[in-house]
Amino acid sequence: MAMSRRDPLVVGSVVGDVLDPFTRLVSLRVTYGQRDVTNGLDLRSSQVLNKPMVEVGGEDLRKFYTLVMVDPDVPSPSNPHLREYLHWLVTDIPATTGTAFGNELVCYECPRPPSGIHRMVLILFRQLGRQTVYAPGWRQQFTTREFAEIYNLGLPVAATYFNCQRENGCGGRRT
Amino acid sequence: MLSSAKHNKINHSAFSVSSSSSSSQGQNKSQVTMEEVWKEINLGSLHYHRQVNIGHEPMLKNQNPNNNSIFQDFLNMPLKQQPPLPPSSSSSIVTALYGSPLPIPPPATVLSLNSGVGFKFLDNTDTLVASNPNSFEGSARFGCFGKKRGQDSDGSRGDRRHKRMIKNRESAARSRARKQAYTNELELEIAHLQTENARLERQHEQLKMAEATQHQVKKTLQRSSTAPF
Repeated sequence: MAMSRRDPLVVGSVVGDVLDPFTRLVSLRVTYGQRDVTNGLDLRSSQVLNKPMVEVGGEDLRKFYTLVMVDPDVPSPSNPHLREYLHWLVTDIPATTGTAFGNELVCYECPRPPSGIHRMVLILFRQLGRQTVYAPGWRQQFTTREFAEIYNLGLPVAATYFNCQRENGCGGRRT
Repeated sequence: MLSSAKHNKINHSAFSVSSSSSSSQGQNKSQVTMEEVWKEINLGSLHYHRQVNIGHEPMLKNQNPNNNSIFQDFLNMPLKQQPPLPPSSSSSIVTALYGSPLPIPPPATVLSLNSGVGFKFLDNTDTLVASNPNSFEGSARFGCFGKKRGQDSDGSRGDRRHKRMIKNRESAARSRARKQAYTNELELEIAHLQTENARLERQHEQLKMAEATQHQVKKTLQRSSTAPF
């Protein structure tokens, strides 16, 4: 099932700004507390303080997955010249398990957008083998596309995103 | 003396550098020094760059086709000499644009260097340039920071408003996309949940039926085995 232009990832420009069109192959479930992340869900910093629970699908326990979490709207969505910022990187996640069973190469950093409403994107890649992915030197100026190319991750197998703004934000409006 | 007269000439015709240089050369060729000619070019080029450097924001790409001709005309003017780094107070403006002394660069390079600068100003501020050739010296000092204080003309106000409008439009578009994306997601969720709900209900019914029939069968007593005695 190819990606339609009505797909939330396309409408929200995640496909375009961060990713290339792909086909969903594996289930990805991200849960902050009791709340499941659905594409385009609005959350505040306080609701995403701690790392979410992430469950990965697939069937073969011998396959390993990498989860990347980035903010493409740094420092502000109207002028994202620092795109992207890496918030979390977990590798070697066995199929049918979750991030708790993987290798947290870049620890989870709570999104705290200074201004505007930022998209926070979680992307799942299938690794060619175990321990084939390494952490970048720094979080800023990260490029998911480049990262995937360097470590032969190919196209994503799953992705989801939510919108995040700072605690006292007023929906991206200047008061 | 001759130099001051020439200086006045330069001030008045800063925009039409070619005419002034040709006329000065026609007058007293022996008296024209390199310094005079280079001052001429300097003032002429700085005059352009002062205008160009005012807007610092990246400019709309679709503005360039119109401005190509203007800039190329400028480049095609008889400025055979290089525009070296000027010692005046406006040096920061030129170095910001050129970085190091260049021979007249090919238009593509110059355009790429200046692509981040308000090209549009060449169009809008032509009237300003034409009307203030004498105030060049003074306003050159304000070149970089005249945006808020000095530029009260309709041109720059209009541009600021225009930029603001564009930013607002983009923001509105993002907001609509956000809303639409979430709506689509919810619709997909609903469809998915409906099918799963239907499936589970059917499964439940089947199980209930299977249980009921099994129960019916067991109501009547049956011999399961006969004792041997």
